Amino acid sequence: MQDLTEKAIDAAVAAGAGYADSRVVRRRAQHVATKNGEVDSVSDAETEGIGVRVLVDGAWGFAGDPRLSEEGARDAALRAVAFARASASRARSRVDLAAIPPATGEYAAPVERDPVDVPLEEKIALCLRAEEGMRRPEVKITEATVRAMREERVFRSSEGASVTQHFVECGGGIDALAVSDDGRVQNRSYPSAHGGSSGQTGWEFVEELGLDREAPRVGEEAAALLTADACPSGVTTIVVDAEQMVLQVHESVGHPTELDRVYGTEAAYAGTSFLKPDDLGSLRYGSEHMHVTADPTTALGLGTFGWDDEGAPARRQPVVEGGVLTGYLASRETSALIGRDLGGSMRADSWSRMPLVRMTNLHLEPGAGSLENLLADVDDGLYLCTNKSWSIDDKRLNFQFGTQVAWEIKKGKLGKMLRDPTYMGVTPEFWGRLDAVAGPDEWTMYGLTNCGKGQPGQHAHVSHGTSPARFRDVQVGVRQ
Amino acid sequence: MSRALDLAERAVKAAEGDGADVSVHVESSGFARFAASAVHQPTLIRDETVTLRVVRDGRIGCATTNRTDDDGLAAAARRAAEAADSAPVDPSFPGLQEPAPVPDVEGYDEATAALTPKDQAESAAEAIAGAPGFGLYGYYTSGVTEIAVASTTGLAVSQSATDTSVLTLAASDDSSGYAEATSWRAGDLDPAAVAGEAAEKANRTRGATQIEPQTFRAVLEPYAISELLFYFAFTSLNALALLEGRSYLSGRLGEKLFDESFTVADDGLDPVNYPKAFDMEGVPKQRVRMVEEGVARDVVWDRRTAKQAGDGHVSTGHALAPPAQAFGPIPFNLSMAGGDAAAVDELAERVGDGIYVTRLHYLGVVDPREGIITGMTRDGTFRIEDGEVTTPVVNLRFTTSFPALAAGLLGLTKAVTLVNRSDFYDERYPFGTLVPAVATDAFTVVGTGSGPGL
Repeated sequence: MQDLTEKAIDAAVAAGAGYADSRVVRRRAQHVATKNGEVDSVSDAETEGIGVRVLVDGAWGFAGDPRLSEEGARDAALRAVAFARASASRARSRVDLAAIPPATGEYAAPVERDPVDVPLEEKIALCLRAEEGMRRPEVKITEATVRAMREERVFRSSEGASVTQHFVECGGGIDALAVSDDGRVQNRSYPSAHGGSSGQTGWEFVEELGLDREAPRVGEEAAALLTADACPSGVTTIVVDAEQMVLQVHESVGHPTELDRVYGTEAAYAGTSFLKPDDLGSLRYGSEHMHVTADPTTALGLGTFGWDDEGAPARRQPVVEGGVLTGYLASRETSALIGRDLGGSMRADSWSRMPLVRMTNLHLEPGAGSLENLLADVDDGLYLCTNKSWSIDDKRLNFQFGTQVAWEIKKGKLGKMLRDPTYMGVTPEFWGRLDAVAGPDEWTMYGLTNCGKGQPGQHAHVSHGTSPARFRDVQVGVRQ
Repeated sequence: MSRALDLAERAVKAAEGDGADVSVHVESSGFARFAASAVHQPTLIRDETVTLRVVRDGRIGCATTNRTDDDGLAAAARRAAEAADSAPVDPSFPGLQEPAPVPDVEGYDEATAALTPKDQAESAAEAIAGAPGFGLYGYYTSGVTEIAVASTTGLAVSQSATDTSVLTLAASDDSSGYAEATSWRAGDLDPAAVAGEAAEKANRTRGATQIEPQTFRAVLEPYAISELLFYFAFTSLNALALLEGRSYLSGRLGEKLFDESFTVADDGLDPVNYPKAFDMEGVPKQRVRMVEEGVARDVVWDRRTAKQAGDGHVSTGHALAPPAQAFGPIPFNLSMAGGDAAAVDELAERVGDGIYVTRLHYLGVVDPREGIITGMTRDGTFRIEDGEVTTPVVNLRFTTSFPALAAGLLGLTKAVTLVNRSDFYDERYPFGTLVPAVATDAFTVVGTGSGPGL
C-alpha cells in the first residue's frame, strides 16, 4: 500500500501540485444487533480505497478512488489536481500550511483479543443474554448491539511523511423501551444512548462493559419511568452524570473550539462558533473548576492515533484551563492562520473524504471527591442521567438537552425518579455555573461513533472522559 | 445493462446459500464546497458498494464490500455465509422479493451526468458572484448514482439517477441569509439567483432584536417546514415505529389529527421530486397517502414490517438496505400538498402578528411519541406585524409539537418547492421533500439565542 501512496504523490506533483498527500485505507467492520430475542441484523462490511489531497496554486483539491491499483492511485491524483486547478483560478487567497517535521513510523492500537476475530456466535449470544435481562412486562422492546472494526491506514505526503497505522475498535450497548397501556413511551440505555460506547482496543473492552450485568437495572428503570412524575420546570441545581457530561463537553466545548468553525468554513452547515481567534488565552469559558484537555494519546480512546490525517503527531493539549480558553482544535492550515502551532486534529472518516478539523479525545478533567460528595451539597435539585435528545445553535451557545431520567435530590440524597427532564443554557454562562467536578475515581470515558460534520457528511469516532459535575441555577424542564 | 445491475447479478452468482439478494450502489460525484467566497473543500468521489444478503437454512447474514472484482465478491459471499451460519433462524424474515414490474420513472439527465469538475467549480463561482458584498458559504454539487437490486428469485432491477444542489449562506459578522435549490436536472438551477436570494435575505437581518418567548403564529418557509416534516416522518410515518408504539400515529390511524389542509404523501413516482422506481429490496415504489385532509391514513412499509403486522399489509417499497433495516421503512419522497395562498406575503397577512422563519438548525426529537421537536431558527428570522414581515429578530430556540403545528395551519402556498434533505453522508442517495410555505398558529419558542451572522 505504501507503493500506491507514493505513486499517487508522484502523479500529483508531476501534474503541478505544490503539495500532495495520500491515504490508503482498508477497513472491515462488523455489526450485530438483536431485538426482542431475535437477531435483527448481522453484517460484515469492508471498504478500501485511496484519497489524494493536493494544493495547486494554493487551492485545495481532493479525489477518492476505490481501486487500490496504480491506475486508481494515478486517477485520484490527477482528478484532485484538476479540481484544485479549476478552483484555484477563482481563489482570492492561497492556503498556507504550518510547517511540521515529516512524520515516519507505525502506530497500532493495543489489543488482547482482536474483536473482528471473535466469532459472530459469541457476539450474538452476548446480545441475546443481555436482552434477556431487560425483560419486564412493561418493556415491549429490548435491543442489544455490538460492533467491531479493524482498519489499516497508510499516509504519505510530498514533504516526506510516511506512516502506517492500525486501528481496532469495538463496543456495544443495550436499550429497553417501555410502553404503557395508554401509549406512553419511555426508554433507558446502557452504557450510553445512541449506540452504546466503544473503545479503541480488543474485545476485552466489550466484556468489561458488563451489558448482561446492567441489563436488569436498565429494564427496571425503563418500566419505572412509565409511572414516574414529570420533571418540573424551574431554575435549580443539577448534578449531571458522566454519560450526559460527555454530550455536554462534546457539543458546548468540542465543536466551538474547532478552529475551522471559528474561521467560518462550517458556517453553512454545522455552524460557526461564538469564539474568535483573539479569544485565545483570555476568554472566560467557565468557572475555575473547568479544565478541558484534547488528548489523542489517551489509552482506549476512539480519537487516539500516532499521527492525524495530515501527519501531525498526537499530543496532549489544554483547551480550557481554570475556566479560561487556552487552546483550539486545529489543522496545519488553521494553525497558519492563527499563527500558533495547534495542529493535530485533522481526521477523515474514510478514504473518500477530505480530512476536517475534528475532536480527538476531549476530556473534562476530574476534580475531587465522589458523586455522593456532589449530591451532599445540594439541598434541592436534580440528578440527570443518560442523554435522550440534544440541540444547540449554530454558534454553539444556546442549547437544550434532554436526559432519559432524573432523580430528585433532597437534602443531599437522591429521591424519587422523574421522567422527561430537559435543561437549557447558554454555553459560557452555563459553564460559569459549574461549581464542582467529581474526582478521578468517578471519571469515565465513553466512545461515540456518530459525530457528524462536513459536506459531504462525515462521521467521526471520538471519546470523552468526564466525571459527574454540578451546576447551580440552571433552567430545567422547558418542555411544553 | 447498467454497471450496477451487472455487479448485482455477478454478486448473486457468487452467493452461497438457499437464496440471496444483492443491492448495489454506484456513485460518481463532485462537491465544490465554498466558504468566505472561495472553494475550500472540493471533493470528488467514485465508489461502488455491494451489499449481499444470503439465506441459509432460515438464517440471514449480510456482507458489504466495495471490492468488485471476482475475488472481492467471492470474499463478500463467504463473509455473508459465515454471518448467516452464526445466527439463529430468523422467524421474522419475510423472504426474498419475487420479480415484479417496476415503474418507469424519470430522474436521469444526460447533461447533469456529463458535468465535469470544472463545471462544478464554475457553478460554485457563479453562486459566489451572485452574492456581492457578502461572504458566501455552502456548496455546489452534482452526481450520478446507479442503484440495482438482483436476487436468486430472478429479480433484476436498476435505476440511474442524477442530482444537483446548490446551497448558499450569505453572511457577514452581523447578517446572514439562506437559500438553496435542488433538482435532478442541473439546468433547473441558477446558482447566482439562489445566492442572490440568500444575499437579499441577509441584507434584511441586520440589527436583529430580542423577542419574548411564547407560542407564536408563524410563517415557515419551505426550508423550515421541510426539515420539521422529515423529522416527524422519520419517527412517526414509519411502520416499525407505528408497530412498536413509538409513533405519534400509533393507535391513532383513522383519526383526524391535523388541520384539513394538511395532506402528506410519499410519492417516489413524482418527477418533480427525486423519482425512485424501487426500494433497496427491489420492491416497486407505491404512492402512499399518509395524511389526507388532516386524517391519519397510513405509514410507509417494508417487507419485514408488513409481515410483522400480520394484517394484510404489504411493502410499499420503502425498505433500506438490509444492514440498515433496524431503522424501519423510511419515506424518502415526502410530498405535502399546497394550499390556496398566492405567496408567503398572503401567509403573513393570515398570521397578522407573529414571526417569520427561513431556516432551522440542529433539530432534536424530544419526544417521538408526541412529535415534540426542538431546534433553533437561523439565517432569516423576522417579526410579522399587522400582516407584514418587518424587523429581524435573533435566532430562536423552539420546542414545539409538530402535530399541534399541523393542526393549527392557517394557510399554505399554492406553490410547492423541492428541498434537498440529504447531507451526503455515506453512499450518495439523493432525496428531497416537496413542500409549500406554511402559516400556523402554534410554533412554540422557549428561548432566544445569538443574532444572525458569522
